[in-house]
Amino acid sequence: MSTPSNRTLNAVELQVNGVAYPVAIETSRNLSGVLRDEVGLTGTKEGCDDCECGACMVLLDGQPINSCSYLAVQAQGREITTIEGLADGDDLHPLQRNILAMGGVQCGFCTPGMLMSATALLERNPTPTEDEIKIGLSGNLCRCTGYAKILDSVAATAVEIS
Amino acid sequence: MAVTDMPEFIRADGPDKVTGTGRYTADMTLTGQLVAKFKYAEVTHAIITKLDVEAARAIPGVFAVLTAADVPDIRFTYGIADRTLFATDRVRFEGEIVAAVAAISDDVAQQALDAIVFEYDELPPIVDLEAAIADGAALVHPDVDSYVVTGDTPHSGNVATHSSIAMGNAEEAMSNAATVVTSRYVADASHATPIEPRAVVAQWEGERVTVYTSTQVPFDARNLVCEALELPANRVRIIAPHLGGGFGGKCGGHFEPHIAALARAAKRPVKLVFSRWEEFIAPDRRREGMIIDITTGVDADGKIVARTGNILLDNGAYLADSAFFPQAAAMHVAGPYVIPNVFIDSRLVYTNHQPSGSVRAPTAPQGCWAVESHTDEIAAAIGMDPLDFRRKNIVTTGSVGAVGQTYDEIGLDQCLELAAESAGWGNDLPDDEALGISVGWWPSFHSPAGAYAKMHGDGSIQVITGASECGTGSVMTLRMLAADELGVDQTDIELVYQDTGAAPAGPGSSGSMTLFNHGRAVERAARQIADQIKELAATELEANAADIVLADGKASVAGTPTVSVPIVELAGSSPDGEILGSATTEDIEWPEIKGSTCLGDQGFSSWMAPQFSCHVVRVKVDKDTGVSRVLEVHAAHDSGTIINPIAAHGQIEGGVTMGIGQALTEGTQYDDAGRQRNAGLLEYKLQTIADAPKITTQFVEIYTPNAGPRGAKGLAEAPNVATCGAVNNAISAAIGKRIYQLPMTAERVWAAMNDISLEEA
Repeated sequence: MSTPSNRTLNAVELQVNGVAYPVAIETSRNLSGVLRDEVGLTGTKEGCDDCECGACMVLLDGQPINSCSYLAVQAQGREITTIEGLADGDDLHPLQRNILAMGGVQCGFCTPGMLMSATALLERNPTPTEDEIKIGLSGNLCRCTGYAKILDSVAATAVEIS
Repeated sequence: MAVTDMPEFIRADGPDKVTGTGRYTADMTLTGQLVAKFKYAEVTHAIITKLDVEAARAIPGVFAVLTAADVPDIRFTYGIADRTLFATDRVRFEGEIVAAVAAISDDVAQQALDAIVFEYDELPPIVDLEAAIADGAALVHPDVDSYVVTGDTPHSGNVATHSSIAMGNAEEAMSNAATVVTSRYVADASHATPIEPRAVVAQWEGERVTVYTSTQVPFDARNLVCEALELPANRVRIIAPHLGGGFGGKCGGHFEPHIAALARAAKRPVKLVFSRWEEFIAPDRRREGMIIDITTGVDADGKIVARTGNILLDNGAYLADSAFFPQAAAMHVAGPYVIPNVFIDSRLVYTNHQPSGSVRAPTAPQGCWAVESHTDEIAAAIGMDPLDFRRKNIVTTGSVGAVGQTYDEIGLDQCLELAAESAGWGNDLPDDEALGISVGWWPSFHSPAGAYAKMHGDGSIQVITGASECGTGSVMTLRMLAADELGVDQTDIELVYQDTGAAPAGPGSSGSMTLFNHGRAVERAARQIADQIKELAATELEANAADIVLADGKASVAGTPTVSVPIVELAGSSPDGEILGSATTEDIEWPEIKGSTCLGDQGFSSWMAPQFSCHVVRVKVDKDTGVSRVLEVHAAHDSGTIINPIAAHGQIEGGVTMGIGQALTEGTQYDDAGRQRNAGLLEYKLQTIADAPKITTQFVEIYTPNAGPRGAKGLAEAPNVATCGAVNNAISAAIGKRIYQLPMTAERVWAAMNDISLEEA
């Protein structure tokens, strides 16, 4: 077991939402924890630490990953996108705007992860069927909404951007 | 498009939530904060023989280690004060807290836990409800008779509370019935399972402590800190940042006193964040397992003439807020039916399981599942269509229900017809599909609640409420009420909520009470400001205050809208520099609603402004595997007036989906000692988006004499009542066999189809 005196820290530079963050971290640190505690971006949520809930979803070179179960040191040299990087300045991403306008946000704890999965889905498939949306978001648990308004908002965004 | 371009029903906390800038409790970081961890019993029933924390205290980087010896010796909890912050002489469930540590890091906190010497002699676990109430059974609380008892809480041995409903002469009526049907239903325990695991951060400044915590009811959390740590209310401030869901599981106080005590001892801020395993095993808010025996007699016309019931509820080790559960369960087993002769006995039983407590519509999904499944069994026994049987027996406006309550305007009959029509009741379906129907009900509760409203000199407005926003949108709706009173746009109003240091007390987000109670207080507080503005406008416009109308940000004289003055200017002209409103619901006279309860009345013997619902579900069963899928849900609800339609539909869709989870997959499994075997989200399966069915929602909006603002009743728990029963009735219709255990897992459905007993297999 590591203690403060015998920790080995790695100097790592993480590229998050287009900004380079130098951090000194142990090899065992997960990406979600480093994003939240070292980089200071707490929009990425932790709901299970076991790839079960999807609240920690971020994009790594455009691919959605559960950042709770990804070593932060492995993310060096890759482009990390978190919920904080989704809007264009003050202009919300269409997914953000639509999920809000259509009632797909309640407690909001799953929302960042859900939006990152949806972003990745629409990047690779701008015209998804309903089933394809369901598959794309099936790794993100939501306890509040019953998913209907989330599904509708992703479908509406697909129509809007295609 | 910028956020400010958003239309009317956009929630005020929404932009924070979609951009990741909103702070939840686990997102809080205070300078110098330490990491908290708990030492759990992990054994379910044992006498402590040794607890030594000195080695843990000696570890560098450990700032505090606390046990029962380090906090006031106080037992607490409404009903029966059976609880302490830390285990004292014995432990009674696996998640009981033995000690708490605060250390410089996660690793060091874990080292401290590992260094605690905790030795015990195990006792046989008490986990079987029927054995627990048998003569001579060992007691979970041998000293229960020495505990302080509050309210109408009859208790004896392992029966923590006991309630009964008695009307007419059930025994005699049953003996004269044309047909009698008896059923036994057994429901497993389940969980609220918010996606946000709970978190607490505490910081002392002198003799005052501020606790940031993921509670649904900040004032209850404050009261618990005050009671357990012997602090006055003016030195404890609870702030709940954004709440990542609650579903009842975060009602009340939980771990706030432990973290406040740690922070005081460590002289540093302390932060606790639960793992998902802890979120499953440690809170005192599990949905209780139940055994429900029901017998119903009907006459030759298919009218119910008598019902008897015997309900056992698994309370677990300690009473949380569960004192009312026996009575609530009895109401559900009586059901929204006209039944002239009733005898239902309902007991909440201590066991060595995790404590039970409020989870969205406590006791309802299980009780309703049992009684609505039983209702279909009765219909089958007399050869009547389940829809027709309900048409004949449900309560309608003016009828007298099973506890003697006479109903004002209610819309259950309309709900029944709307849901059945929407689903195409009676239409042919493929062999592996069927429809199932269920009706349900849930009360609206009156509770004292307060609100302040302030109009500042610049005309900007704050509404300060003791309500909590756990996600439902109900607090967001409060500013709509204030905006209408003041004639301004709701976006001109800022809400202050979830802060006991700022707001008057109230029930937070619990019991579907936000709009019903806090809404009324907010309306009244805003109206006080409106009245003062009207006085100022009357002077300004040389008119009578009674003739002043507030609309579109202006005060004008009724009938002559051109004679007006902007409200902003009036606010600035107030001699006090600001205009204040302060209101409560305490002086509202509520109609007396009488019901019949013989024992243990905790306010559930009759229901104020009751909400009604009917769910019809379409289910497809894989006849090789027993896997059931809900394809469609047709929900019709009488929750009175709907004020915020987007939020209301969201509550139905979310509640129904939670109900499907509880129906099919969400059941806690225990080992023989009473430890949870599936305390993780892969093993305890929630519905995913791929599982979620198409949900069609209709609202029956009828005038309700004793409802809340604008005729609104409660809403957020009601959709979590009827779904499980409808799913069972659909599965049974599809396979020709009935399921008697909840959840109705694939194994259980498969076993029923093949006449196999899982216990024997």
